[in-house]
Amino acid sequence: MKHLGRKQWFAIVVLALVLLITGLFAVRTVRRAVYWRLHRDEVIRPWMSVPYVAHSYRVPPPVLYEALGIAPQAHDRKPIKEIAREQNISVEQLIATLQQAIARERAPIPSGSQSPSPGRSP
Amino acid sequence: MNLTDQLLAALSLYGLPVLFGVIAIAAAGVPLPVTLMLVAAGSFVELGEMKLWQVLVVASGAAVLGDQIGYALGRWGGHSVLERMRRRKNGEAKIAQARAFAKRWGGAGIFLTRWLVTPLGPWLNLTSGIANYPWGAFLIWDVLGETLWVVIYVLLGKFFSGRVQALLDILGNLSWVIVGLIAAVILAWQLLRSLRSTQTLDQVKAISRRLS
Repeated sequence: MKHLGRKQWFAIVVLALVLLITGLFAVRTVRRAVYWRLHRDEVIRPWMSVPYVAHSYRVPPPVLYEALGIAPQAHDRKPIKEIAREQNISVEQLIATLQQAIARERAPIPSGSQSPSPGRSP
Repeated sequence: MNLTDQLLAALSLYGLPVLFGVIAIAAAGVPLPVTLMLVAAGSFVELGEMKLWQVLVVASGAAVLGDQIGYALGRWGGHSVLERMRRRKNGEAKIAQARAFAKRWGGAGIFLTRWLVTPLGPWLNLTSGIANYPWGAFLIWDVLGETLWVVIYVLLGKFFSGRVQALLDILGNLSWVIVGLIAAVILAWQLLRSLRSTQTLDQVKAISRRLS
């Protein structure tokens, strides 16, 4: 090991750098995967269709259609940016409407509601 | 809306033709977010908007077609480059070496760059063409690799449907980890080889010193 040439030292430095960067990426990947498992909600993007958003947030599609004021459609592939254009509102506004509808759907049923879930004591 | 969102919106609206076009163009060497397209297509399959077998056939077909374009560009468009290289010092020998390397490692290289080290794929198409790697063998490895690639990502998208954005973020990082590990292995191997040759050189020097 005494006779390492300049090229070999260079190679060792490059190898160390590659390992360091790879390690950083590996840590980042694991951290994101963990974060993803804890916060499972997908960010709503303009390309998504209403059924996709409903599927992603596990809410029935009619809930979202109702919030947008559209009749529920089967096999609807229209991206929400198209819906926003048709309704003359910004995509951000439409996404906010969807998020509110999702939050409402997920909110616990208030006490004294007319449809208590079976098997659960009040 | 960025390009990725535009492409995904088009995929959602028009389905297979968009999938075919984007993947073929990307395989020929234009950088487009194809992994995302495959994962999204898998997600649409789960939603019932696309059919699984159609997605698999169309996506693999598009990728193979794009790769053949890259190969053809290397093989026939690459001739002017080849001529210039040949006129250089030792040009002929270098070309022969490249061809021998492509013939020896070509198959495994082509196969792995289809699904594991995908960023290198378009480059290998070109160099395989330039090196005159036999087209029949190129096609077979290509079809095997691309089909595996398509199946992996479409099924990932199907099983993690509704989580396309999150899945992609993780996969993007993972691909850099794979590339980094491969680079590290190659570097370490070369370093080891060069250290060994230094050792032998030292031994030879020591022996010659003793003899003189």
